[in-house]
Amino acid sequence: MKWVARAWSTKWPIRRLADLTLATLVVAALGVLAALGARIGWHAMENRTIAALAEGRDVPVPETAAPRLLLARAHFLMVRDRLDEAQPFVDRLARADQTELAVAALYDLANARLARAISHLEQTQIDPAIPLVRLAKAGYRAALVRDPGFWDAKYNLDIAMRLIRDFPQIEQEEHDDAQETPKRLWTDLPGLPRGLP
Amino acid sequence: MPSRTFWRTVRRSLLQAILLGAAICVAAPARAATVELFAPRPFGYFLGDVITLEAAVTLDPGFKLEPGSLPRPRPVTYWLDLRSADLTELPAVHGARRYRLLLSYQTFYAPLETRGLDIPAVPLTARDGDQVLNLSVPSWNFAASPLRSLVAGGAANPMALQPDIAPLPHPLRADLRRVAGATAVGLASILGLAILRGWGPFGRLRPPFSAAARDIRRILAAPSAEAYSKALLRLHRAFDAAAGHRLFADDVPAFLAGCPHLATEADIMAHFFHASRIAFFGKGADAAMVEMTPDALLSLARRLAVAERKGAARPVAAPTQREATA
Repeated sequence: MKWVARAWSTKWPIRRLADLTLATLVVAALGVLAALGARIGWHAMENRTIAALAEGRDVPVPETAAPRLLLARAHFLMVRDRLDEAQPFVDRLARADQTELAVAALYDLANARLARAISHLEQTQIDPAIPLVRLAKAGYRAALVRDPGFWDAKYNLDIAMRLIRDFPQIEQEEHDDAQETPKRLWTDLPGLPRGLP
Repeated sequence: MPSRTFWRTVRRSLLQAILLGAAICVAAPARAATVELFAPRPFGYFLGDVITLEAAVTLDPGFKLEPGSLPRPRPVTYWLDLRSADLTELPAVHGARRYRLLLSYQTFYAPLETRGLDIPAVPLTARDGDQVLNLSVPSWNFAASPLRSLVAGGAANPMALQPDIAPLPHPLRADLRRVAGATAVGLASILGLAILRGWGPFGRLRPPFSAAARDIRRILAAPSAEAYSKALLRLHRAFDAAAGHRLFADDVPAFLAGCPHLATEADIMAHFFHASRIAFFGKGADAAMVEMTPDALLSLARRLAVAERKGAARPVAAPTQREATA
């Protein structure tokens, strides 16, 4: 082990530096290990809840939970046709910065709505189906805005579009309003002389 | 033979041509501002696709694009969203400002058959003091294609939806890999520290006098006869380790012949063996402490450690020197 002898022969400050570096590395590695351990433990715990929900057990999840947990709970509710209960979870996910999960939540909820609308239509119940299709379309569109390359959402949106097509007139009016709003804001400003004597 | 009406027409067109030429000559300097549209392929778009138009805007010298005239991200029509409008100023040429405008649209039109659609023109305003110049990014036409066939064929249910995205558990593999990495780094560092500090089995790797000097300093921290004898013994073990066998006073010359780098310390080594003899076979440790003080013992150990280190460094340095001369 010649290199060991060589390591011993190096000058004192270099050895001291090597010693300090190695000690720092050990401490840093321990710190990283502790942090990773905590995270893995936390995730493993959440994974158990996700697995329980997937198995069909009705495990409650607070609205402040991690996005992945929210999606698992929302999916559990959607599959069981409890769409109104799933909505707040999806809203929360849509606002979260994890695009992938937000897209999944929006898409799944839109799927659930469209599936229910189709089952209404099969029983020729037109009226309850219309708002469901509209909401489903909005959901698919929100998912596609976040992920334009999401083909399944495109496909299902196409199905929804053929059930109820978009109407240009209604939306056109909204569009005009939006453009005029700034102008009106200015004329409504107080303090402008109005030609009083 | 040409008729009279023919000549009248010719005259009128000539006049028109001259007038038009004059108009171009007058208008040319004011109409230098251009908007050039660089568009992607104009066909093969499905619903949900993103279309990015690039417009190169060149203004007249002195003019500046009004940032307020840029379109904001918004739904343009019921089927078209403007996702973003990014304006980048390019280096000016002869004082004329140039811009690159990136307009990113997303179409949500679900056509039943391939059909042409228009992205409307985008008005822009440039300004030079009171002078206002109205420009516009031209409208652009593209062909949107349907995603599914119009008439359902075969046994497949046309209303069958694509499946849900199932919720997945947290992926742990990446973190476990990081744990392995951190463990490897930690263990390697501990191994390095053990070698460097001579922990456990690596203590043997350390040069004997260097280790002895360290130990003796620790042993002599408590100044007593007992500690002194211990320190003596420790240095004896270092000599044994260096020689490879039990070393007595009589063996010293032979030992020094084998280790010339320690020869400078020959006198004081003899002194040490003398003191050791007094301590263990003579009047005892107290008398030996008079012969060789604890400080002198420690300084001997340290000097031997230094000499030993220099001796270890030399064989390493020597071959490189020879290579340099060869």
